[in-house]
Order: sequence, then C-alpha cells, then structure tokens
Amino acid sequence: MNKIKRYYLEILLILPLALYILGFTILPILKTILLSFQDKAGNFGFETYKYLFSKKDFNMSIINTIAVTVVGVSLQLILGLFIAMALKYNFKGKGLVRSLVLLPMGVPTLVSGVTLLYIFGTQGYLNEFLYRLGLITKPIAWTSGGIKNIFVIAVADSWKVLPIVVLLLLAGLESIPTDVYEASAIDGANKIQTFFNITLPLLKPSITMTVILRAVDSFRIFELPKILAGRVTPFLATFAYDEYAYNNINASAAASTVLLIIIIIFMFIYLRAVEGGGNK
Amino acid sequence: MKLKKFFAVGLALVLTAGLFAGCGKKESTTNEPKTLRVTMGLGEEEWKVMREDIFPEFEKANNCKIEAIQVESGDVVKKLEAMKQAGKTEIDLIAQDNMALAPLVEKGLVEDLSEFRSKIPAEIIPSLIKVGEFDGKLYFLPFRPNVEINFYNEDKFNKYGLKPPKTWEELLNVAKVLKEKEGIGKVGIKAVFDGNTTVQLFEFIRQAGGDPLVLNDEGSIKAYTFLKELWPYLSPDSLKADWNTTNRFVAEESMYLAANWPFGVNVIVKDGGKKEIKAYEGFAGPVKASKVLGGDVLGIPVGSPNKDLALKFIEYLMSKPVQEKLASKLAWPSARSDAYGQVEEWQKPYFNAINEAMKVAEPRPNLVYWADVDKALNDALKEIVLEGKDVKATLDKYHKVIEDAKQKAGK
Amino acid sequence: MKSKVIKNILFYTGIALIVLFMVIPVYILFRISFAVPSEVLTSHPKFLITKFDFRHWEQVFKSGNLWPPLLKSLIVATFTMIFALIIAAPASYAISRFNKKIKYAVILTLFFTRMFPNVGIALPISVTFLKWHLLDTNTGLIMAHLIEQLPFIAWILVSTFETIPIDLEEAAAIDGAGRIKTLIKVVFPLAAPGLAVAAMFTWLNSWNEFTYALYLSLTTKTLPLQIYYYVLRGGFFQQAAYSTILTIPVLIITFALQRYIRSDYLGGAIKG
Repeated sequence: MNKIKRYYLEILLILPLALYILGFTILPILKTILLSFQDKAGNFGFETYKYLFSKKDFNMSIINTIAVTVVGVSLQLILGLFIAMALKYNFKGKGLVRSLVLLPMGVPTLVSGVTLLYIFGTQGYLNEFLYRLGLITKPIAWTSGGIKNIFVIAVADSWKVLPIVVLLLLAGLESIPTDVYEASAIDGANKIQTFFNITLPLLKPSITMTVILRAVDSFRIFELPKILAGRVTPFLATFAYDEYAYNNINASAAASTVLLIIIIIFMFIYLRAVEGGGNK
Repeated sequence: MKLKKFFAVGLALVLTAGLFAGCGKKESTTNEPKTLRVTMGLGEEEWKVMREDIFPEFEKANNCKIEAIQVESGDVVKKLEAMKQAGKTEIDLIAQDNMALAPLVEKGLVEDLSEFRSKIPAEIIPSLIKVGEFDGKLYFLPFRPNVEINFYNEDKFNKYGLKPPKTWEELLNVAKVLKEKEGIGKVGIKAVFDGNTTVQLFEFIRQAGGDPLVLNDEGSIKAYTFLKELWPYLSPDSLKADWNTTNRFVAEESMYLAANWPFGVNVIVKDGGKKEIKAYEGFAGPVKASKVLGGDVLGIPVGSPNKDLALKFIEYLMSKPVQEKLASKLAWPSARSDAYGQVEEWQKPYFNAINEAMKVAEPRPNLVYWADVDKALNDALKEIVLEGKDVKATLDKYHKVIEDAKQKAGK
Repeated sequence: MKSKVIKNILFYTGIALIVLFMVIPVYILFRISFAVPSEVLTSHPKFLITKFDFRHWEQVFKSGNLWPPLLKSLIVATFTMIFALIIAAPASYAISRFNKKIKYAVILTLFFTRMFPNVGIALPISVTFLKWHLLDTNTGLIMAHLIEQLPFIAWILVSTFETIPIDLEEAAAIDGAGRIKTLIKVVFPLAAPGLAVAAMFTWLNSWNEFTYALYLSLTTKTLPLQIYYYVLRGGFFQQAAYSTILTIPVLIITFALQRYIRSDYLGGAIKG
C-alpha cells in the first residue's frame, strides 16, 4: 500500500499509456499468437506450423527476410556512418548536404515504392543509365526474383531509412567528448587508427540501438516488396498477408508468430555477441 | 525564440484544423433524402460517366442520393468482413469483379437474391446469369460483362516482320523471335500466381480442351507442357504482371504482347498516348479459342440498410438505356443482347476486339472451394515452370488437392 | 600536400555520390509528373526534362480528389500528434526516472509492440473500432494511429527526459515547488526541443499511415489511400503528379524543422 502511495504520481502518469498499449497492442498480439496454435476447426495443436514448414514458399520467405535484413542493415550502417562522420566535419555546403540527405524522410512510403519502381523497373532509369554507360546491352530484370531482387529491395529500403540512421549515429558521434580525440592525436594515432580504436568502440551503444531498431523494422518489411517484388520473392510479412488474403487466418497468424520469434532470437544473439563480448 | 514561433504556428494550425473538423460534423447531421451507398472499382473516366450520365436520372426518379465509393474488389471482402463482424453494414450495393465472388459467398457476406431471379430482363445474355450462381442459388445479378483482349505493339511487330499470333505455335514463334532480337523476353503473361494468373491458366487449359477443375486431364497436361516450353522466352516482368502493372509494362515497352482487361485502352492509349499499341481478340489453342468471361456483377451485402432501393437500382442498371449509354461512352460490352453502343472513332478497333473476344468467352464455374482451386492451379504452375518439375506428376498431385477440397466442401 | 588534395577529392566525390543517391529518386518522380508521355513511355526514357507538360497536374487539381483527403490527413495527423504527446510525455518522464532495470524492461516492452507484422493486429482492432461506430470518423483513425505511434514517441521521449539532470528537479523541490508544478515549469520547457522532434516524427508517421486508414475509411479518404487509388487506376503520370503534390508540403515542413532535429534526442534509450 505504501508503495502505491509513494509512487502515485508515477502510476498516474504512466497509466494511460500502459492501458492503451496493453489493450490495443499486447492483447491483440497475444490473441493472434493463440490463433496460430489452432487449426481451422479450432482445435489446439501444431498443425498450422507443420503445414507452414512443409511449404517451400514459407521457408524461402524466412531466408529472404533474413537476407534482406542482413544486406540492408549492413548497407545502412556503412553509408550512415560515412555520412554521419562527414557531417561532423565542417566543409563547404554542409548544411545543404544535411538537408538533401534527410530528403527521403519526407517521402511517404507508398510514394517511395512507386518512385523506386521507376528506377528499378526493367525499362527503368537504372537500366537506362547502365545502358548509356555501355555496361549492358540488354535490360536486367531487377525485380523478377532471386538475389538481385533481394539486393534491390535492400537498396530501396536503405534509401528510405538512411536519414534516421544518420541522425541516430550522429547523436552517438556528438556524444563522444572532443578531448578523447585530442588525446588520441597527441598519442600520434592517425585517422584510421583513431576511427577503429576510439570512435567505433565509443559509438557501440548507438550502433547497437540503430541495428536493433532497423533490424526490427526490416524483418517486418512489407510495402516495398509488395511493389518491388512478385510472389516469387516472398517475405514473412507479405507471406502472412497473402495467406490472410486466401482466408487462411491461422496460417497468417502462425507466420506472424514465426516472425516475432525470429526477431527475438536475433536480438538475443546480437546483444549477447556484441554487448556481452565487449564487457568481458 | 524561434522555437516559440514554431509552437505558435503549430497551435494556429491545430485550431484551424479543429474548426474544419467541426464543420465536417455539422454537415452530416442535416436531413437529406435517402442515401444509397454503392461501391465499385472504377477508373477516373468511368466514374465521370457514372456521375454525369447514369446516376442523376435514378436519383431524380427515386428521390435519393447515390453515394458512390471507389473500392477495389480485393478490399470489398476486407471491408464487408470487418463490417459484418462489427454488426454494422454501411454499404447497400456492391459492383464486384466476378473473379472475386467466392469469398463473399463463402464468408456469408452477401444476400441470397434467388427470389429476384424473375426481375432479370429476358434480353440479358444467359451465360452472365450463371456467373452469379453458387450451388443453384443466385447471389449476384448481371451488370457488365468483360473479357481480356491482347495488346500488342504494332511498331515493334512491324519492325521484326511479325504478326499478332493466332495459334499457340505462332505465339511460341513470336516469343522466340522477340527474345532473340531483343535479348530479353518481350511476350508477357500475368504470372503473379494469384487470381490474375488463374484467368490465363483457364484460357490455356480450355483452349487445349481440358477442364481446369480436373487439372490432370489431357488438355490440362497439354496446356502446362506448352507453358513450360514457352516460359524461357517470356518477359521477366511476367512475374510481376497483374491487371494493373500489365498496362505499365505494355506502355513502357517492356512487353510487346500481353493480354489485359480493356480498361487498359484508356490508360495506355488515351492517357499514355501510345497509339502504336493495338489490340486483337487473341489466339486459339489446339482445340478451340476460349476466353474467360469476366466483368462486374451486382450484390447486396448482408444487413444492407436500403435493400429495396438497392434492388431498384440494380434493375435500373440492367435496363436497356443504361446499358446502351455504358457501351457508347465507355466501350463496355453490353450485358443485353438488344443494346448496342456507338463508340468514338479511335475506340472502334479496340471495341471490335472486345466484341470478338466476347464471342468465345466462357464463364468460370462458381465453387465455394474456389480459393483452393485458385491456389492449386497457381502452385502447379509455379512448380512446373519455376522449379522445372514433371508436368504429369505435379498435375496429379494438385488434382488430388482439388478433389480433397471438393469433398470437404461437399459435406 | 598532394595527398591532402586527393583525400579532399575522394571525400567530396563520396559525398556527391551519396547525395545523388538520395536525391535522384525524388527528381525522377518530379520529372515524370511533368513529362511529355513519349519521353518516358519508351524503352529508353530520357533523364532530363526537355519540356514541361502541366496536363497531369491540372487533371489532379481538377479531379476533386485533392482537397478533402488533404484536409482529413491534416486533421488526423495533427490530432494524433497532440494526443500522442499528451499521453506519452508524462509517462515517458516517469519511466525515465525509474531505475535502470525497470527502464530496460519497459523499453523492451515498447519494442515488443513493433515486432509483430501489422496484418496480425490491424484487422481485429479495426473490427472493434467498427463496433464502436468509428467508421469514417476522424476519432477512429486518430485512435488507430495512436496505437502505432505511442510506443514510438514514448521511446524517443524517454531518452529526451533522461538528458535532463535530476538535480534541476531537486533544486526546484527545495524552492518549494510541488512535483506537478516542477514538471510543468521546469522539466517540460527543458524538454521542448525533444518534444518537438518527437511530435514531428509522429505527425509524419500518421500522415503516411495506410493499413488502418484502409480498414477504417469508406467514403472519406486520407492522402495515402488516394495515392493507392492513383497507383491502381490513375495511370503513370497522374500518379506521379499526385505523389509529388503530396510530397512537396512534407518536404517543406521537414526542411523548415530540421534545424530542431538535434539528433541526441533520438539516442540514449538503449544506452541505459
């Protein structure tokens, strides 16, 4: 009782948020998970999962989802780090560069899918560009399945989210005190050494957060594959959607649950490997 | 300081927005004549004709207001389902793509209209009525027949001395020549592996004399074998081609030959200015020519608040003057045998192609287990053309899948 | 000296390439919205605009499909932003003052809500909302958007409040201010820039939201729904024109506000 009294203000402040999230998110999620352990007749069991894992498309969708996340997030980290490092320096036109890099943030996701299709379409601008450079003589089918397709989606996704990645990493970079760099310069370390020995380790928390935040969204990637890939390149979220469209509500729920489990496993492994490894 | 300014501007914005919100609410409470809510999936041109030439007369005669809402056929199911589960249907009438009827019946979202069978005019083409029947019950009334036509790029065909293919052999030959000359396949089929593809599969199977519901008879095997042979010469964009994207692929010259619904004429030729894109009625298979009869039918959602008015409107839409207007203004083939349209000059060749194709159009069977058939046909195609599996063995497997579904639905 | 010049060249080339990568898609969209059809609808589309064709823009403006959705999107996004702030800001403040372990647990829970695909929860929630007569209402859509936005905004705000030293509060408490007064007079003003950033992101996300809007709208549409219609039915150019029209105001807002996007408000949550 005392505790409640002491923390009444905190409880009062948190209650609306907690109730809203509990009622409208957590409960529906739990219900859906429950649904995945039922078959169409409502009996409990693992039938739905057996059905899913026997399907080639489903297994493909797991692989594709993981692949697009790995490729996409790596690309975003590398590009994002480069831009964030650059934006830390003062150079001519920095303000303009920053504005332009943040540009995709203002483009709605649906529009960005449409736009990127103009570029990656078989008769799109990327092929035309390569053709004019003389690199190709016939168009490449970027969006017709296979590794190319996954790569295209990863690039498209990177384009859309790079602004937020840059902002997150820039936050990390700005929180590193300048005297650390000064000390390292006095010790005679060159820029590359400084980057690997000082910047990167100090930036680790920001990188971890960026990776987790991005990976969670990337695992759930939906709109871009819907527009930029056909059914031959299924992803978990699009697979769940298609099953739903075919009136397989249980299978759809199960696919969603598998996605959830994959994300949790990923976070666990990542935090163990990166954070745990660092502390030893 | 600047921050304060930002908040001030934000506050001003919010206040104005609130004002507008208030106005919006007031409007909806005033008393108006009965409102009939109708959903259709149409393009901009088509809506214009509906609003200007079709609706006003009915509104005047019945003192009502028609609120027409754009909803794509796939979304109709979702919306009605949500509304039904919530126990509140707010739609009176749907014009639904006849390719997407089964889920509506299966989920019990539309009214049984069997008792109104007598209201169908005698001049309505009989095969159109069959489209709305499930297990002998009539759920949908005819509105608009439709059929796919085959678009081709005349300039490119002339350049390579090709003619629009009339047989499977010619089709294969055109595909081969185009791939050889261009380095990439230029003939498209809709191979997105959903309902779009099913239409094409039905046509190929029936053209070879097969029955898509049996799937492992001689004709079906012939059709799938042919598709397997044709596959390497097709445009890679086939995998992403549906009723919407096919227009784009044809207009962008990613495909020189592809079948699609006639609304593509407006998008490709009128809007896109691609006058070299022509259309014809398509090719025949070894046994016969066959097309799938598509189009929209009219249904009344369970729980519709204005059922009687909706029925009246259905009768109005099936009447001769309306059907003639639709044919003349939109080049829609008529649902009545006595209604003829006068289309604009530039539309004539396309309208002719539609009417030619309509002659061999066959309806698809209406089954409650349609989703399973749809899936089986597509899965079979996927395994055969993408994974290179044996045609006969694969079709045997999916024949069984369909049989199982049939039995389950039968009990 | 020479190596420095080379380094500079490399640096600027890298920057230029990345900027190009970011800008080109937007340029292409813009370009197509003004394109003469024959320049784009060919197997070798042209990169540069040789002639402006305003027909597509005209069609969109005349279609009557622009202003009602714009207004609806504006109302929904703005109110979603306001309510999100009202609900999430106090809660985030309280969370930020918890001890590390609880904070970590709360943040993970917030994260958990982002791990599930939308398909799995959007329909059941929409059905509930329909039962509550929220079809086609702004209220319903705002409530639905809050579901997605609350965890996100709370997550940003927790790190914002963490940057405010607790000493300041204690000082205010010694001066005799009550806790609520301290919160309003001391903490929130200090957090204002962070609140602004969070508000902007919420607004943008709500402005872009599609799935719930699809379920919960029938006669009134938001802008993304209208784009969806143009993507399916409108043809290439109107689709590009409509998308450009929709993008421009958002770009202006982001540009105008970006000086306030101090990135450190985004950081910190996981740093613990």
